[in-house]
Amino acid sequence: MGDPLFAHGVGLAVLIIAIVKVVVVFAVLMVAVMLMIWMERKVISDMQNRIGPNRAGPFGLLQSLADGIKLFFKEDLLPDKADRVVFRLAPYLTLVPAFLIFTIVPIGGAVDIAHHAFDLQVADPPMGILFLLALSSVSVYGSMLAGWSSGSKYPLLGSVRASAQMISYEAAMGLAVAAVVLEDHTLSTRAIVAAQSASVLHWGVIQTGIVPFLIFWVAATAELNRPPFDLVEGEQELVGGFHTEYSSIRFALFYLAEFMNMITMSAIMVTLFFGGPDGPGFHFLPWVWPILWFVGKTFVFLYIYIWIRAALPRLRYDQLMDLGWKRLIPLALGWLLIIAAFRVDDVWGFAVFAGCLLAAAALGQSIRVGQRRRQIEAETTGEGRAARAAKQVQLRALAARSEEGGAR
Amino acid sequence: MGSLDSYLPIFLMIVLGIVFAALSFVASKLLAPYRPTAAKEAPYECGIVPTHEPTYRFPVRFYLVAMIFIIFDIEIIFLFPWAVVFGQLHTFGLVEILVFAAAVFVSFVYLISNGALDWGPMKRVQPIATDEVRTTSTTVRRVGPSSGEAA
Repeated sequence: MGDPLFAHGVGLAVLIIAIVKVVVVFAVLMVAVMLMIWMERKVISDMQNRIGPNRAGPFGLLQSLADGIKLFFKEDLLPDKADRVVFRLAPYLTLVPAFLIFTIVPIGGAVDIAHHAFDLQVADPPMGILFLLALSSVSVYGSMLAGWSSGSKYPLLGSVRASAQMISYEAAMGLAVAAVVLEDHTLSTRAIVAAQSASVLHWGVIQTGIVPFLIFWVAATAELNRPPFDLVEGEQELVGGFHTEYSSIRFALFYLAEFMNMITMSAIMVTLFFGGPDGPGFHFLPWVWPILWFVGKTFVFLYIYIWIRAALPRLRYDQLMDLGWKRLIPLALGWLLIIAAFRVDDVWGFAVFAGCLLAAAALGQSIRVGQRRRQIEAETTGEGRAARAAKQVQLRALAARSEEGGAR
Repeated sequence: MGSLDSYLPIFLMIVLGIVFAALSFVASKLLAPYRPTAAKEAPYECGIVPTHEPTYRFPVRFYLVAMIFIIFDIEIIFLFPWAVVFGQLHTFGLVEILVFAAAVFVSFVYLISNGALDWGPMKRVQPIATDEVRTTSTTVRRVGPSSGEAA
């Protein structure tokens, strides 16, 4: 278990290989982000019957690079109401986790260079899945602190929204991942991929019965603040969201992290539910095929993210919270229990399934009760008083008008 | 310390990420102009001069969400070790987790039935139905010297 690179302790050669791995992944990620931004702009343009970037480089391929270079030359403003330390710290808290999450993604199989066997994966910690969840929690701090430290109202509101949204969907995401862990008995991403490599039928998406995948997908989209869950930067309400006050390269780093997270989340989905680098290989250059499969599968999800952005309008905040808390979390929990019960035996399975249906009915009833209670409360407190006052005004106006009519 | 060796690349990645961000800031400092003015450093307010301090107050519901999240996060953290060893636990593990899930679910239902997670706007007060016929003279308010009221 674990990366064979570290089987014989850490020597100079091992250290060099580790550094090379990290630098290569870093560079590939940066280029991937560049291409991803270009692709998003191009595909969205195509879907909206526009041309999109086409000046910098062939087909506008260098547009993101040009934008990046431009941002280096832009004035970096620090609002005078900002908390200076935290304002400077926030981009690190967003960017570093974005790089780190990708380290646990298995990109390809094992290779052997100069008698040093190693996995094509930056790191394979035994608790990779927990590492993933922990880092996605840490990145909440980035957006939270960025908004809070700006000393301005739109970023503050944006960051409060962002953190509530991200922690809400993190719960659903964690439960969906737990289903995969239940199937594969391990927290190591490489072992998860290995457990899925027997055939397509062993892929997580089929083994866990599609539902955890769908939940994870929705939750990941919300976690990334991608449309239709991009309330964090709802322009009509919040200007630019938590990074409204950020300019120049600080803004660029937030943007970079956002796209990098998108790539990473697609890669994580491929790892957990679609067998990672699993796929038919050939004898010619055997180590290349897994990488190609991995990149291909990830690309599909990236394309779908762009497609969703072009197709779906933004949710309302209450719809977002209702979807996360009242639908996805109970569904994910119930599904996990059902999978677990069917693994024990069928009798338990159907019993737990029936129990979950009852629980769903109870939940539906409690949602209705909650809404009614809140309405009663609203009518007897502040909001209700305001509404009643408005009603009085309306009534008086009506009475006055009818009197006037009578006098005439 | 063999088990910690596999974290070495992660540590290297942390260093690389921090160095990258720091170098970007340094490059920006060297390349970008720096001519701050009061207007540039004022909080963004759509071009208006801000009249209020940012309030730092937001709806209490956000705090509620944070607290409820803690319950679920603890549950999830408990679920992971359970999921890893579930193959060896069988019926015992299932019963354990059912009891645990039931306890969490009951408190969840309690929260929801109290409206703790309702974000929707209040149901709007129904406008009073007027039995008057809606014509231009009742719906359009004329303003000006000829309308008979102070404009």
